Amino acid sequence: MPQFDFGTVFIPQVAWLAIIFAVLYFGVVRLTLPKVGKVMQAREDQVASDLDTAEKAKASADRLAADYDAGVAAAQEAARASLTASRVKSAKAIEKKLAKANEKLAAEAEAAEAALSAARARAMGEIEGVAADAAADIVEKLTGKRPAGAQANAAARSALA
Amino acid sequence: MPGPMEQFEIKKIVPLEVAGYDVSLTNSSFWMLVALAGISIFLFIGTARPQLVPTRAQAAVEYLYDFVRKMLDENVGPEGRRYAPLIFSIFIFVLACNLLGLIPWVGTFTPTSHISVTLGLAALVFVVVCFVGFARHGLHFFSLFWPKGDPVFQGSPIAITMKLLLGIFVFLIEFLSFLSRPFTLGIRLFANMTAGHVLLKVFGTFVVSLGSFGALPYVFGILPLGVNIALSALEVLIAVVQAYVFALLASLYLNDAVNLH
Repeated sequence: MPQFDFGTVFIPQVAWLAIIFAVLYFGVVRLTLPKVGKVMQAREDQVASDLDTAEKAKASADRLAADYDAGVAAAQEAARASLTASRVKSAKAIEKKLAKANEKLAAEAEAAEAALSAARARAMGEIEGVAADAAADIVEKLTGKRPAGAQANAAARSALA
Repeated sequence: MPGPMEQFEIKKIVPLEVAGYDVSLTNSSFWMLVALAGISIFLFIGTARPQLVPTRAQAAVEYLYDFVRKMLDENVGPEGRRYAPLIFSIFIFVLACNLLGLIPWVGTFTPTSHISVTLGLAALVFVVVCFVGFARHGLHFFSLFWPKGDPVFQGSPIAITMKLLLGIFVFLIEFLSFLSRPFTLGIRLFANMTAGHVLLKVFGTFVVSLGSFGALPYVFGILPLGVNIALSALEVLIAVVQAYVFALLASLYLNDAVNLH
């Protein structure tokens, strides 16, 4: 095997290997690889920061949605409360108006009743007068003698009663 | 017909001598230079204008670099990223040498099929591991070889003596295995590459000799040709896997140096 012919094979190969590997390491890899490493790091950072930003945006969106929901709920609550309040208020107002109207009606009814009874009393008095007159006329025609007015009135009242 | 070992012959292209040593430019060093040139083109084009959204060439470089970084993250931990350029260089150099050697017809040579080259790379790994280990831990680095977990000076005198004796025994074994690492690392790659190329050559020879059978020309050459096609695919796999194994073991050894146990 030519590989084990160390006397002639070893030194030239190892010398060239040393030179070539030194050039490869210091002249090629050390000059180029860090550039790519930097870019890869930058990319990782960028992706991480983008993810971070997205997460923050999502959190703020969630917060906004929660705020919105809370606002809607509060507005609904307020609307319901004001609706109830105005309903109560209008019920009270209606009740008051009704009471007033009732009062007025009662007063009118009373006045009308009073007027009615007065009219009835007057009418009764007139009927008495007419009856007494008629009775006195009848008595005059029958007896030729007209009874006294008071007597005729008393007789008519007792007959009407 | 050339024998299966002739493909590993070192041929001088430009004879050269420095301080009495023969450092000629050979076919081996020539193909190492080709590998260097290929890697340089790959890396310089891929990193010419690094962008957040990578071009194809940049994506290819990033893919390999990320592969090496992940390997170091898994095997060494967060400290390992510092050594990514070194492991990357070793990985891509071995990979380029392995793959270039598989190109047919253009007379390629596989530098990694020579134990001098693979031992040289393994020795580099070994030196780096020792350097990192002693730089980080000082003489405490030797505790890597001492059995971990059980405090020695506890229990009865007999137990302490037994633990000490056993510890020294284990220490010697661990130390020897540590010293043998560069050899196993180098020989593994060299043997894989050599065996693969010998196999390809042997079956290639079968194609010619069986195919030139007089009565039925070409017919019997088809079977070894089919085998050779399958073997070529296997060799591509082995070229990649062995480069990966070399880099993986290098990072595992680095882990010992960085984190001890």
